[in-house]
Amino acid sequence: MNQGPSGRPDRLEEALSQLPRGIEPGRDLWAGIAARLEPRSDPARVRAVPRWAWAAAAAVVLVVASSLMTATLLRRGTATTVQTVPAQVAVPSTAPAVVPAAASAATAAFGPGHRVGPAYLANRRVLARELEGRLARLPPEGREQLAKNIAELRRASAEINAALELHPGDPLLEELLFNIYQDEILVLTNVDRLIAADTTRIPL
Amino acid sequence: MKPRLLIDLDTPSARRLVALALAAMAPATLAGTSINQRAAADPAGQVEISNISGSVVVTGWDRSEIEVTGELGEGSERLEFSRADQLTRVKVILPKRSSNVESTDLIVRVPAGSSIAVNTVSADLGVQGVRGSQRLQSVSGDIQTTVVSEDLECKTVSGDVRVTGSSQRSLTTVMTVSGDARLERLAGEVNGNTVSGNITVSMGEASRSRLRSTSGDLGVTGRLAGDARLDFESMSGNVRLDLEGPVGAEFDLSSFNGDINNCFGPKAARTDEYAPGTELRFRQGAGGARVRIKTFNGDIALCNK
Repeated sequence: MNQGPSGRPDRLEEALSQLPRGIEPGRDLWAGIAARLEPRSDPARVRAVPRWAWAAAAAVVLVVASSLMTATLLRRGTATTVQTVPAQVAVPSTAPAVVPAAASAATAAFGPGHRVGPAYLANRRVLARELEGRLARLPPEGREQLAKNIAELRRASAEINAALELHPGDPLLEELLFNIYQDEILVLTNVDRLIAADTTRIPL
Repeated sequence: MKPRLLIDLDTPSARRLVALALAAMAPATLAGTSINQRAAADPAGQVEISNISGSVVVTGWDRSEIEVTGELGEGSERLEFSRADQLTRVKVILPKRSSNVESTDLIVRVPAGSSIAVNTVSADLGVQGVRGSQRLQSVSGDIQTTVVSEDLECKTVSGDVRVTGSSQRSLTTVMTVSGDARLERLAGEVNGNTVSGNITVSMGEASRSRLRSTSGDLGVTGRLAGDARLDFESMSGNVRLDLEGPVGAEFDLSSFNGDINNCFGPKAARTDEYAPGTELRFRQGAGGARVRIKTFNGDIALCNK
């Protein structure tokens, strides 16, 4: 028997030695633990998208959808309006694509393991296609400027995405990336409307 | 009181606007058809103007009528000048599938209290003395306007925007893709968005402002209102805020790769030992204003004048 510093038997150690060596759980817990340890089969779901990101993406989709609806209605309402191109702004119809189909179809990531979603991509494609149809009205230097700036937006989102790969979950990067996607939609929508506006009524 | 000419004649686009306006007043010496039309109008009505190329100058006056002068470019079909209730429309109509149309220069005088909506493609646009709201759009033309206290919205792709306010509270919204925006003597709320253009704002008293750019620089000078909310964001452009007068505000500045320079004293700190980001949060004075600046690669400078 162990003795304490005073040389007397240690009562605490004695009490401890009388305790049972193990306690059986009331029910089998292993099944639940094993299920949580098992790797997920879908790699896209490795990391859950934050709830705010879904809400934000939904807001973007809503804005885009309403913009498209407004643009469609405006065009329908002015179907008989004269459409013409003056000499100063006329360009060949074989103008190169400012928003290339491959670029507009590119996936939009949101850091590692996340995709922005098919609805956003579909809307971006529709906007880019509509804009492409109107770009013949712009002088070559205008198209060039626009192409350069859309490339600038894409470059910025690629750069932030690359940083997010290294620093996943960084709130500043996530905020900036979200806003750059929003800006791209805003630019596509605004430019499309600006070019279309010469034959449509401008609401006051 | 006669409105003061606030258009800056030092810029090339302003000189061109004035030259075109003067030329348009002497139609006998030029090709094209001279325009001289006039109609009664509501003193606080709405005026829509549309011209694809050339120039548009809109001036507010103290009469209840609208006058349109200038020169209709050769090859244009006609000028639509119509009125329905409070709305007057001035629109250059071009023939279908035209391939050779000269530019049109319009000088439109409207009741000073009118609200105006002007749309051009490559035409430069100048507005002065209009006290109602303004919605101005141009794809590649420059826009210059003066604003009093009503809402102003300017949109361009590559055109530059120049706005001169009267230090009265108003809502100003500017969007460009590559054009620069210079906004002066504004107060109240100023919002701006650009991809590669630079936005420079000078505010008497700033109460609300949200500016965003991708690669363009943002520069703001002004006095903070007690409850001001300023929110600036840029990807690779630099952001500079120069505050005038006593400053009472809470600041929240952060940049992923850029530097943060603060004239008020506190230094920025790394957000993480292993990540490049820096941030600076501090309070200056006792006011309830809030200033938030975020960048990715751009530098941030905060100073007091």
